[in-house]
Amino acid sequence: MSEVDHEALELATTWFIAARAMSVAAGHLCPSREATAGLYGRAILGLDEETCLAAKTPEQVGSRSLIDCLASVAAMGEATAAKIMTGVMLIAYADASMHPLEVRWASSLASAAGLTEASFQACCVNARVIATMMVDPHEAN
Amino acid sequence: MASSSGNFEFLTKYDNRVARLAHQAERYVHTDPDACLFKLRLMVEVMARALVELQLPHLVSTDLSSMLRGLQRSGLLQRKEADGMHAIRRDGNAAVHGEAATTPAAMRRLRDAYRLSAWYCRMIRRGAKVDLPGFNPPQPPPGTDAQAQVRQRAEMLEAAIEARRNRARDALLLFSDKEDVDAESARLHGELEALERVAVVAGEPVIDADLVALVMAMDVEQILEQPAWGRTADEAKAEAEAQFNLVKMAFEEAEAGYRQERSRVVESQHEADRAARHVQGEDPS
Repeated sequence: MSEVDHEALELATTWFIAARAMSVAAGHLCPSREATAGLYGRAILGLDEETCLAAKTPEQVGSRSLIDCLASVAAMGEATAAKIMTGVMLIAYADASMHPLEVRWASSLASAAGLTEASFQACCVNARVIATMMVDPHEAN
Repeated sequence: MASSSGNFEFLTKYDNRVARLAHQAERYVHTDPDACLFKLRLMVEVMARALVELQLPHLVSTDLSSMLRGLQRSGLLQRKEADGMHAIRRDGNAAVHGEAATTPAAMRRLRDAYRLSAWYCRMIRRGAKVDLPGFNPPQPPPGTDAQAQVRQRAEMLEAAIEARRNRARDALLLFSDKEDVDAESARLHGELEALERVAVVAGEPVIDADLVALVMAMDVEQILEQPAWGRTADEAKAEAEAQFNLVKMAFEEAEAGYRQERSRVVESQHEADRAARHVQGEDPS
């Protein structure tokens, strides 16, 4: 754990909470959504294996609320917050529909990140493009 | 050929073909681990096909990977079973393509197949009561000390590879195996509902759901041709592709390393087997 960079751990924890919230918003956990989150974190957010594992410990994700997650997104730089937003939209696209709570979570994140309408549009579009590249972790590993 | 340990006797009354493949895999595990993995891979394919025909007859794709993905998406195949089936698919494919396989690797997959078999019986016959005793590992034929040492080395190597693979997999998953996924999901869902109530009362804005639906419905080609989005989307696509490729390359490098380590152990195994045959006078070379 001591090898994990604090800033990276904060990003990973925020990412996994944001991704989990979107994954369960429709009331059930969709397996294709579960598969998307880790690869996005590794590839696009640049999180290493150690950091991803450390973020999923009870001391990290288990002790944070969604409000904590939104506060963390609000404190991030614009580029990083946009990457989180893009990843969350990528998860929303995984089952090709949006439940009202998914819309709410995306809206809350967009507000916390201070995204303009144009920035949010870019996140949506980029997520749609990236969605075509996602592979099952079983295929990758 | 070593005799079967009878772990899969129960399967015969549920699915004869699957049972036959399991028996064969069990018999080969010590004498020919490649053949064992090949049989297990075929066994998983037969199981997946039966489940698809039963539950997802509309699924067009019939390669094993697509069938497993379809079963996962439909919720029939949960994480634990999916992990076992994918591990057998991966190691079976490697054996088919001539990569060195060790007995401990084949034994691990045989154990996975044992666990999966009980689940499979419950899936194809509703209400089936399949209460299995513990897996009884087939015993190796008697051998020399050198052969036993190589077996031990192979066992340690496979344990290390399995541990590294599990770490890589755990890092990718949304929830860790140690978490209570249902409880954590319920906690987050409850928080989302509270957030929604507060946001509605406070008149918080929502995202443009029409835009999201439009983007969701568009083909990637349409997006890339769209004047307002095309350039940035194209750049994002290229950047993401490069980043995904880096991660995939890291996985491939790790797998190549495992293959090399296995090849060395398998070569030692062959040397020990040759020496044993020489001592017994079966191999004059």
